[in-house]
Amino acid sequence: MATVLQTIVEKKHYKFIDEPVTWQEAVRLSTESLVADGSVDADYYQQIVDCITKYGPYVVFDHYVAMPHSQENAAGVHKTGIGFMVSKQVVDFGEDEDGEKKEAKLFFTLAACNPDEHLNNIQQLMGVFTNEELLDALMEANTPEDILAAEAKYPCEEM
Amino acid sequence: MAKLDNKKLMVCCANGAGSSLMMKMAVQKVMDKYKIKPADLHHCAVSDGKTAAMNYDVVFCARNFAKTFADAEKKGVTVIPLRNVMSNVEIEKALKERDLLD
Repeated sequence: MATVLQTIVEKKHYKFIDEPVTWQEAVRLSTESLVADGSVDADYYQQIVDCITKYGPYVVFDHYVAMPHSQENAAGVHKTGIGFMVSKQVVDFGEDEDGEKKEAKLFFTLAACNPDEHLNNIQQLMGVFTNEELLDALMEANTPEDILAAEAKYPCEEM
Repeated sequence: MAKLDNKKLMVCCANGAGSSLMMKMAVQKVMDKYKIKPADLHHCAVSDGKTAAMNYDVVFCARNFAKTFADAEKKGVTVIPLRNVMSNVEIEKALKERDLLD
């Protein structure tokens, strides 16, 4: 079975950006590849922005990883998938309630409407998020080939 | 019998769709490691979890949601806020600190 990163490449659900952007703009850009093939509507990103505004940047994890998402079966989601984006500049999500800075360079933006596919995505992403060598390599990626090469070099353990 | 055997555990995040699933997997790993069999390991959104929490023994959530469960905590529910929701190491440590692991 294809890994999440292989699926991302196969479905062209990736984007690479160099310019500095706000976190809201970054979330929007990270959904562009999902909008392109009709996986989500163009305004889906706004639900994610609203959610982060309401609850804080809890979708930003360690090692510059962000997993922006709304809920399962959110309005405007038509296919389950992951919009992957590499930002060469650090995107500032502000601070959480304990004053810890939240910053991201790798975006794995979730769209979910099929529970089984979504659970599989989450399970595999956990493997990616805990694989620091792979994350470091992904931050340097500029092409889809780089994504696949990074994964081939630093494969994830089964979760 | 392990202290958490037959206890009801809940994990919560904003939507019940992303980080709570990761938290659930991380908690499950710790349960497996210690061969603990909880009665339930439920995941849900904080909006549902806020009232449901009273029916559980232990609630795990990301730090920013901890205050949501202040009422449940007053009624004796153990609330465990996590900095890194994917970290089974942090979960294990938090349970040890609360003397919930044997």
